[in-house]
Amino acid sequence: MGKEPVRVLVTGAAGQIGYALVPMIARGVMLGSDQPIILHMLDIEPATEALNGVKMELVDAAFPLLMDVIATTDAMVACKGVNIAVMVGGFPRKEGMERKDVMSKNVSIYKAQASALEKQAAPDCKVLVVANPANTNALILKEFAPSIPEKNITCLTRLDHNRALGQLSERLKIHVGQVKNVIIWGNHSSTQYPDVNHATVTPTNSEEKPVRSVVADDNWLNTEFVTTVQQRGAAIIKARKLSSALSAASAACDHIRDWVLGTPKGTWVSMGVYSDGSYGIQSGIIYSFPVTCDKGQWSIFQGLKIDDFSREKMDATAKELVEEKTLAYSCLN
Amino acid sequence: MAKEPVRVLVTGAAGQIGYALVPMIARGVMLGADQPVILHMLDIPPAAEALNGVKMELVDAAFPLLKGVVATTDVVEACTGVNIAVMVGGFPRKEGMERKDVMSKNVSIYKSQASALEQHAAPNCKVLVVANPANTNALILKEFAPSIPAKNITCLTRLDHNRALGQISEKLNVQVSDVKNVIIWGNHSSTQYPDVNHATVKTPSAEKPVRELVKDDAWLNGEFITTVQQRGAAIIKARKLSSALSAASAACDHIRDWVLGTPEGTWVSMGVYSDGLYNAPAGVIYSFPVTCRNGEWTIVQGLVIDEFSRKKLDLTGAELTEEKELAYSCLS
Repeated sequence: MGKEPVRVLVTGAAGQIGYALVPMIARGVMLGSDQPIILHMLDIEPATEALNGVKMELVDAAFPLLMDVIATTDAMVACKGVNIAVMVGGFPRKEGMERKDVMSKNVSIYKAQASALEKQAAPDCKVLVVANPANTNALILKEFAPSIPEKNITCLTRLDHNRALGQLSERLKIHVGQVKNVIIWGNHSSTQYPDVNHATVTPTNSEEKPVRSVVADDNWLNTEFVTTVQQRGAAIIKARKLSSALSAASAACDHIRDWVLGTPKGTWVSMGVYSDGSYGIQSGIIYSFPVTCDKGQWSIFQGLKIDDFSREKMDATAKELVEEKTLAYSCLN
Repeated sequence: MAKEPVRVLVTGAAGQIGYALVPMIARGVMLGADQPVILHMLDIPPAAEALNGVKMELVDAAFPLLKGVVATTDVVEACTGVNIAVMVGGFPRKEGMERKDVMSKNVSIYKSQASALEQHAAPNCKVLVVANPANTNALILKEFAPSIPAKNITCLTRLDHNRALGQISEKLNVQVSDVKNVIIWGNHSSTQYPDVNHATVKTPSAEKPVRELVKDDAWLNGEFITTVQQRGAAIIKARKLSSALSAASAACDHIRDWVLGTPEGTWVSMGVYSDGLYNAPAGVIYSFPVTCRNGEWTIVQGLVIDEFSRKKLDLTGAELTEEKELAYSCLS
């Protein structure tokens, strides 16, 4: 292996998403098949034995890229020297639970972990928050880790982005690789806005076309498509009786990979990032935008036209994020 | 994508190993980053909703290599046109259960699935049996699918092989990719024989025998062996669940090396139909050291077997013969 290993932290590593995620990381899905990895896995005391079981399995899998595994319940040890932190740890949503139900439990976790990351992580550590409420957990983490550049703290909406691509591919009966440039605006919640106004599909042996014109069903695109994507998490829980670990883990790998290695030309992806006021979205919240990535940095793709329908939806999800921020702060007092 | 898609069947796809395995297949871990796949997933009717949930998640993951998903409880539909079949479906071993406890439940499953595969799979379909008792399930499958070439029916001992590599790497504090050529002989059970007599470690100067570097024959002949043999139980004790992650990963390694070939100078362990090499019983599925080339496995010949090893090879062979008898009695 030519490259120096990269240290990747996964919190909540003994849980379902962690179990799906760590073999993906160890096989190079997150950072490329030539990038050696050292995995740091953190979980809470009651999960110590299970966490050690995961470490044993990682040893048993004889992964060529996996140079070492640190499994610990000590956040300071877990965060030491990490270049990438995937914060999965938190309370999983169960059938019937609303996201706000888990908010209060999670914001105090993220305040504490902010501190450990800030003190121990490598400079320029890239952070991805997965645990729900993802945007607000990421915001709390940002607020309580002021020395971590705000551009380095993101949350996962790639899952919703991939779900939107998947729904379009099924509708169009085309391979998902031929659809691109959907956007997920806002909160990783039921108020997210899956926007296809700038999405395109490239049919086989044909040129790139707008999704709207190929689907030719604005009613579906403005209603059922939107609600299907918004509520997909609940649909998975209903079918599996468990949260969407596989697809969430896969999306986490996609998010980090594109961030670190760059997005393909002509393609953007969705990431929850600290808002700078783009597209009339107030700053001071973590909001999902269309971004391109280059040289390890994301940039919001600017200049897209926003119609009235979209404006309303983008504002509604922003409003929810402002409410969540207020609720989060009240939980912390 | 230039290549034609390969159809890969996973039975028991709604279960734990299936859930770990399908994203690995869909990302190219099993057949390479340039090989499109169509996944066939089979499970039993009580798992239909959960199986559909897995299909939904595969759609939601927007995998570039995944060209289609067939999720079904119909074994004929599941087997139609498949090029690779990974038979994970069966009863999982729970804490305290012995492998023989699950034997009778599983042999009738494998008899009926043999029939479906034989009639509907693509020609030259490669089969990997994972569900325990893996060797005997594979044997039953072979016996009841006579038109599938015996060489195409294998069982998973790559998990044990990888576990053995992992234990050596931890003992020597070296990278696991620098350790090679352990052998798992025999049954994927507690009588398996993890043999390091021909294993080597890459050092800055040269490849050196494991025995020479470890310098602890008592450990290599004692604790090392029992640790590898009983690792499955140790994982269940720690996780309260079976070793899905590492089993799925080993299944990918097994198929990948079979299809794409083993690296030069390296062999792997596979449970294959024995015709008596190394005095293993003929007519059982027995794990041997194999190299793979052009989609075919070949047993590594001419390895010297010392007395200690001979006893262990015979012990696990005897267990396989007993299991074969037990399996047939279950079916009568």
